[in-house]
Amino acid sequence: MSDTPSHAPVKSIMPKWVRGPQDFVGGIALIAIALFALWASSDLQGMRGFSFGAGTAPRMFAFLLLGLGIAVTVVGLVTEGAHLAKYHWRGPLFVSLSIISFAVAIRPLGLVVSAFAAFLIAAMGTAETRWKETIIVGACLTLGCSLLFPYALGLPLQLFPRFMIQ
Amino acid sequence: MADLFSNLALGFGVALTPINLLLCLVGALVGTLVGVLPGIGTIATVAMLLPITFGLPPVGALIMLAGIYYGAQYGGSTTSILVNIPGEAGSVVTALDGFQMAKQGRAGPALAIAAIGSFFAGCVATVLIAVLGAPLTKLALAFGPAEYFSLMVLGLIFAVVLAKGSVLKAIAMIVFGLLLSMVGSDIETGASRMAFNIPELADGLGFATVAMGLFGFAEIIRNLDTGSESDRELVQQKVTGLMPTAKDLKDSAPAILRGTVLGSILGILPGGGAVIASFAAYTLEKKISRHPERFGRGAIEGVAAPESANNAAAQTSFIPLLTLGIPPNAVMALMVGAMTIHGIVPGPQVMQKQPELVWGMIASMWIGNLMLLVINLPLVGIWVRLLRVPYRLMFPCIVIFCAIGIYSVNNAPVDVVLAGAFGLIGYWLIKHDFEPAPLLLGMVLGPLMEENLRRALLISRGDWSVFLTRPLSAVLIAIAAFLLVLAILPSLRKKRDEVFVESEN
Repeated sequence: MSDTPSHAPVKSIMPKWVRGPQDFVGGIALIAIALFALWASSDLQGMRGFSFGAGTAPRMFAFLLLGLGIAVTVVGLVTEGAHLAKYHWRGPLFVSLSIISFAVAIRPLGLVVSAFAAFLIAAMGTAETRWKETIIVGACLTLGCSLLFPYALGLPLQLFPRFMIQ
Repeated sequence: MADLFSNLALGFGVALTPINLLLCLVGALVGTLVGVLPGIGTIATVAMLLPITFGLPPVGALIMLAGIYYGAQYGGSTTSILVNIPGEAGSVVTALDGFQMAKQGRAGPALAIAAIGSFFAGCVATVLIAVLGAPLTKLALAFGPAEYFSLMVLGLIFAVVLAKGSVLKAIAMIVFGLLLSMVGSDIETGASRMAFNIPELADGLGFATVAMGLFGFAEIIRNLDTGSESDRELVQQKVTGLMPTAKDLKDSAPAILRGTVLGSILGILPGGGAVIASFAAYTLEKKISRHPERFGRGAIEGVAAPESANNAAAQTSFIPLLTLGIPPNAVMALMVGAMTIHGIVPGPQVMQKQPELVWGMIASMWIGNLMLLVINLPLVGIWVRLLRVPYRLMFPCIVIFCAIGIYSVNNAPVDVVLAGAFGLIGYWLIKHDFEPAPLLLGMVLGPLMEENLRRALLISRGDWSVFLTRPLSAVLIAIAAFLLVLAILPSLRKKRDEVFVESEN
C-alpha cells in the first residue's frame, strides 16, 4: 500500500533542523485539519449539564487529532525519518479533471457522452496512451456501462443528452 | 447443538434458492475478475462493486457482497502468484514463494494449493461462525453502552497494534476518520455539523464515496506515478499441469491446518483481519520448518499457509460484525455501509430478528468457497489473459466505472466530486506513509462510539469513571491499555516489525 520514499539525498526544501520531513509535514497537515474542524464546529452547542450537545463529540475528536498532529510533528522534528516523496502532476491532474467533467456532464448530457469524454480525459493521465486503441476501448466501455447500469442493474440513469430526448 | 443444525438448515434453505445461488456465483466471479487486476486490492474491489448490489433485496445483496469479497481475495492471490504484484497487503507473502513456484513452471500447483487451502479454511471458518454466533450474540445482549464503547476502543487499538507501520500515525488516522464521521446531522438534536450548508453533506459523508476515493482513485493515481509497464513481470509460460503432486499435498496439508487455526483466531480479534494472519502464518511456517532456507525459493508451504490463514481470517472477521455489530476491519466496515443502505443495523438484534438474513449469508459463505474452487481453477487461463491487459487501458476504465458507481448511489454529482477529492487526499496520505484503512474503520465506528459514549454518560449522570467501575468495561479498557503499552514498548515493536520485514526480504 505504501510507497517507500527514497532515502537518497534529494534536494530538500526543508530546513536542516527538520530531521524527518515526511512526518513533519504530515503532522502539520493534521494540525491544520484539526484546527479547521474546531473552527467549523465552533457554532455548535456544547455540553448541557452532563448530556452531550451537538458540538461535544466533534470538538472532542478535533482536540484529539490536534494532540496527535502535534505528536507526529514532534516525531518528525526529533527523529531521523523519510524525506518527502516525489509528487507527480500528470496522473492526479487528469484523473481529477476526468472525475470533475463526469460529475458536471452526467446530469445534462447523460451517461454515454459523459462516460466517453471522461474516459478520454483520464487516458491523458499517462504518456503511454495510444489514441487509437484508447478510443476503441473507451467506446466499448461506454457501451458496456450503458447496458450494465440502466438495464442489467435497473438503476435510473439517463443515457442520452437531455435535449435529444425532448 | 440442535439449534446449530436448525440454524444452518435455515441458512442453507435460504442460500440454496436458485436466485441466491446465482447471485453468489456472479459475486464470486465478478469479485475474482476485479480482484485479479493488478494493483486493486480487496477493499477497492468491494467498494467498486458495492453499487451493483443496491438494486437487490437485502439477503441477495449481502450474499453477493460476501461472494465478491472472497472472489476478490482469491483473485488477489492469483495475481501475486502470476505477476508478483500483490493486489493488497494480505497477498504480499503469497507472492514470495508463489511467484518463485510460477517461475519454475509450477504456477498450476501453486494456484491449486492456494484454492484448496482457502477452501479448507473456509469450511472450518464457516462452522466456527455458526458455533460462536449464538453464544456471542447472548453475550452482546448483556452489553450496555459503556461496554460497547470500551469494546470499540479495544477494537480500534487492536487495529493499530496489528497494523504495519507507526502506531502514532495509525491512531491519528483513526481519529481523522472519527472526525470525518461527525460531518452531517447530529442524531439526537438534528443540528447540522460541519456541513457548510451543502445539502449533499446533510446526511454525512457517504461511506462508499470515501472508500472509493481513498482506495480506488488514490490507488490509480499512485500507480500512474510509477510508470505502469516497467515492473510487470508476467509469467510467460502457459500454465499447465494444475494438479499438485502427492508430495505437494503431503507437504502442504499440515501447513494448511496450521494456517487455518492461526487465521481463524486472528480473524476474530477486532482489528486483526487477513493481513496479519497471512504474515503470521508465513513466519510460523518458516520458523518450524526443517529447511527454512527453502522459503522464498518456491516452497509450497509458503503458499499454502498464508492463503489458508488469509481466507480463514477473512471469514471469521464476520463474527464480531454479525454478533456485536462492530466491524473488525475496513472490508467489514464496507459491509456495514452496505447493510445500512439496505436499512439493516448489524448487531445482535439482526441475529434474532432476521435469522434468515444472517444464516443465509453464513451458508452462502461455504457455497461461495466451493464455487471458487470449482470455477476458478478451470478459468485460470482467462485470468492470465486479463493480466496481459496494459494498465494504460485499464485505469481509465476503472476511473469511469467508479465514477458511475458513486453517482448511482444517490444520483448526486457532488458525491463523485467528493470521491475525487478523497482520491487526492488518499494520494497525499500514501505519500506521507499514513495508512488509509484505519481511517475507514474510524469513520464507520464514529457515530456508534458517539452514541454509546453519550448514552453511557447520560446513564451515569456525567460520571466518566463508569467505564472503569463496570467490570466488563474495565476489563476491555485494561486490555486496550495493555496492548497500547506493549505496542509502544521498543522490544515488542522490534518483534512486530520483524514479522513484516522478515517476510519482505
